[in-house]
Amino acid sequence: MLDLDYLLWIMTVSNLILLAVIVYGVTKIKKSQAETDRLRKSLEEMDAQAKLVVRTDLELNKTQEELDKKISSLYALQRLSRSMSTTLEEGQIFKMISSEYLEEMGFEKACAFMFNEKERKFNLSLNVGYSDEEIVEIKQFFDANRDAYSTLIKASGTSPENQAVRNKIKQIFRVYDFVISAIQPKEGNHGLLFVGKDSKESLITEGDEELITILANQIGQALENAHLFEKTWHAHQELENKVEDRTRELSRALEEVRRINRRKTEFVSNVSHELRTPLTSIKGYASILLAGKLGSIPEDVKNRLEKINRHSDELVQFVNDLLDIARIESGRMSMKKEPHDLKKIVEEVADLLAVQLKERQIAFSADFGKDATELLADYNQLKRVFINLINNSAKFTPAGGRISVKTARIDKNIQVDIKDTGCGMTPDEQAGLFQEFYRVDNPINQQVKGTGLGLVMVKDIVEAHKGKIWVTSKKGEGSIFSFSLPIEG
Amino acid sequence: MGIKAGVGLSSNKNYPQAAREALEQARKNLGKEKVELAIVLTSVEVAYTNAIKIILASLGPVPLLGASSMAVLSNGGIVKHGLGIMLISCSAGTYLNSALAKDIHTKSVIEAGEELGEKLLYGFKDMRRDVGVIFSDGLIPQGSHILQGLQYQLGSSFPLAGASASDDFSFQKTFIYFNHEILNDAVCGLLFGGRLSFGIGVKHGWQPLGKPHEITKSEANVIYEIDGKAAVGMYKEYLGFDTNKLRQELGHISILYPIGLYLSGEEEYLLRNIVSIRDDGSLLCQGDAPQNSQIRLMIGTKESCLDSTRQAIFEVKKGLSDHPAKLILVFESVSRYNLLGRQIGKELQMIKDGFGYTTPILGLYTYGEQAPLKAINYQGKTHFHNQTITMLGIGD
Repeated sequence: MLDLDYLLWIMTVSNLILLAVIVYGVTKIKKSQAETDRLRKSLEEMDAQAKLVVRTDLELNKTQEELDKKISSLYALQRLSRSMSTTLEEGQIFKMISSEYLEEMGFEKACAFMFNEKERKFNLSLNVGYSDEEIVEIKQFFDANRDAYSTLIKASGTSPENQAVRNKIKQIFRVYDFVISAIQPKEGNHGLLFVGKDSKESLITEGDEELITILANQIGQALENAHLFEKTWHAHQELENKVEDRTRELSRALEEVRRINRRKTEFVSNVSHELRTPLTSIKGYASILLAGKLGSIPEDVKNRLEKINRHSDELVQFVNDLLDIARIESGRMSMKKEPHDLKKIVEEVADLLAVQLKERQIAFSADFGKDATELLADYNQLKRVFINLINNSAKFTPAGGRISVKTARIDKNIQVDIKDTGCGMTPDEQAGLFQEFYRVDNPINQQVKGTGLGLVMVKDIVEAHKGKIWVTSKKGEGSIFSFSLPIEG
Repeated sequence: MGIKAGVGLSSNKNYPQAAREALEQARKNLGKEKVELAIVLTSVEVAYTNAIKIILASLGPVPLLGASSMAVLSNGGIVKHGLGIMLISCSAGTYLNSALAKDIHTKSVIEAGEELGEKLLYGFKDMRRDVGVIFSDGLIPQGSHILQGLQYQLGSSFPLAGASASDDFSFQKTFIYFNHEILNDAVCGLLFGGRLSFGIGVKHGWQPLGKPHEITKSEANVIYEIDGKAAVGMYKEYLGFDTNKLRQELGHISILYPIGLYLSGEEEYLLRNIVSIRDDGSLLCQGDAPQNSQIRLMIGTKESCLDSTRQAIFEVKKGLSDHPAKLILVFESVSRYNLLGRQIGKELQMIKDGFGYTTPILGLYTYGEQAPLKAINYQGKTHFHNQTITMLGIGD
């Protein structure tokens, strides 16, 4: 009995445990089912999200691809434009449009034809991607339709819109899509730029059309610059030729002047020599007669003979001056340059002219600047310069006047100023001062004797020393004759 | 010295001249070493010129291998039109053998792979084989099966790095170069032996998106059904396009959202590009997609692409251990070239930075890459990949 009860108890407990397990299992299964449902739902949601992601991503990628292409195109266009702007040769401009640039812009084929208005025909300027045979066929197409295309150029047009025409162009140009744009420089021939795509994957976009229009404008601008440069270059070349012609003419004229001058110098030299011999005789006979070696002569004859003698001396001096000028100008007289002291030369000249200056009551002074006395020069010739210039000043300085000599060191030269308080000269009078036989036309000069050779000789001597001479003067205020000589000769 | 290389690159559109220029650079960079092998990668137009003839005339009897591509990359940059040459010299103890299997349409693709493997092994009987490189016509139907034949001969775990030649993305004609021959419908290969160290890095950077799916019916590279429905349905659902619109956008979709095959133990999914959508709603892929595979729709970005390049460089270096790379071959998917767009130069910069500026680098953009898988389950078996950057680094 006990066993039966125990068995019943065991069974009851077992059933209860089984029930509990079943309940637990069912609960667990229900939970798992819910979890699986939840996971499935999540997965479906995730998949739905994935669909959204893929669709958005595809659009994004296509946009990005388009943007990439546009950036590459613009970058290529910018580099191409920069290259084109560096050349001013028309032929080179088209050569710069290479297949690499076109490819970067998204095109495989291109050609350009410029329309010659005079000959009424298209000339090929650019060919990328076409064989010789293909390009001949394309040219024939343009020539056959020249009126339509020259109208298109004039209208600044782009690609024709008529679909039948477009299809015909695609067939002839062997492309899937294309752009045509007018090239219009302000001067010269106008033309057409054609670019095409030979892949059916990518068709022409609005962006492509804009890009090619910009490129065609750039070509037009570059051609315009080339024309302008060519014009300027020709004008410049013409001017240069003119200058060269005129320079040649001037050189010829200068050579002619030199040749005449040389002949004049030779002539003067020859005539002077010829004059010296009879002058010597005249002077000799006049001296003999004056000395009474041929018997006494009446007083009035003696006076006239003295005049002959004096005038002969002046004539000899004149002839000697002429000969010296001729020698210096012909280069036959060489300057014997040695170190000399200007102070000593000026003092000697002052002594020489002292009587004359005293008679005419003209004060004389000299002022020698620091390091402005020693130089390399021909002693005798330099002395002649001072004698001539001081003598010249004395001639035109009235009684009670003053002559002063001043030296100064300027760089590697010594400048000498000989200043007088004479009548001075107008600028016009100064103009021909250093020309042969020139004499200022004024009342004083008419009273003062002169040959018009003294200042010429002075100028020649200074220039033979590689120096310069000039005058500063004002009418009524005196003159300053200045010359500068290189210290080192 | 075990192996040494010198590279040259030219973008001259006068291709015979480009060949001379690139060869001159490569010779200069190789130095005085004897040229044992030339790898020539070119843009597709070069195949129609006598550039290869010019290279061989200058090099003499040197084995030459190569392929056409939509662009060529090297230390000097990336050229869309032109060619790159890598000249390789080997010291005693390093072995090279090259081989060709052509006219694949006259046999099965697997048989072509076997033929290539057999030829490659010739002369390698008692020597240690290190790594193989293959270049195949990128438009061979079921080209990925070449690997099966090769593995039958070389061993299923033998490491291979390969590239399917490409053209200018028009899928018209791709070429491979083998000595003086310029071929379609062919595959050529190269076996390195001796005791070379090498590292292979293969990464794509695409991430799974949405819920997992299963290929419920497929045969070789055609997926008929996904989750029991026409395969195209998956793309219709995700993109919200009808079949026509999907076909129009396939260029973008194939690159941006390939199918990822789940591989247990692998860090990344194995990607498959969709080549076309067939009228019955099935998807034609580049590379096989086995039935019952768990798949995901994948998504990639420029950043994830560049990040994967960084990881691939790391993998190559890891494979080379402490040996510096003497040459780097890069086989990169054309899809990545298109996706990276203007940033493609940045990727080359990363490679140069990663291996050093003086390490010779030569690469092409492919219609498919071949590289081993890493996970233990796959025992290093080489698989056909899409969308990856595959790099082979060889050191001493």
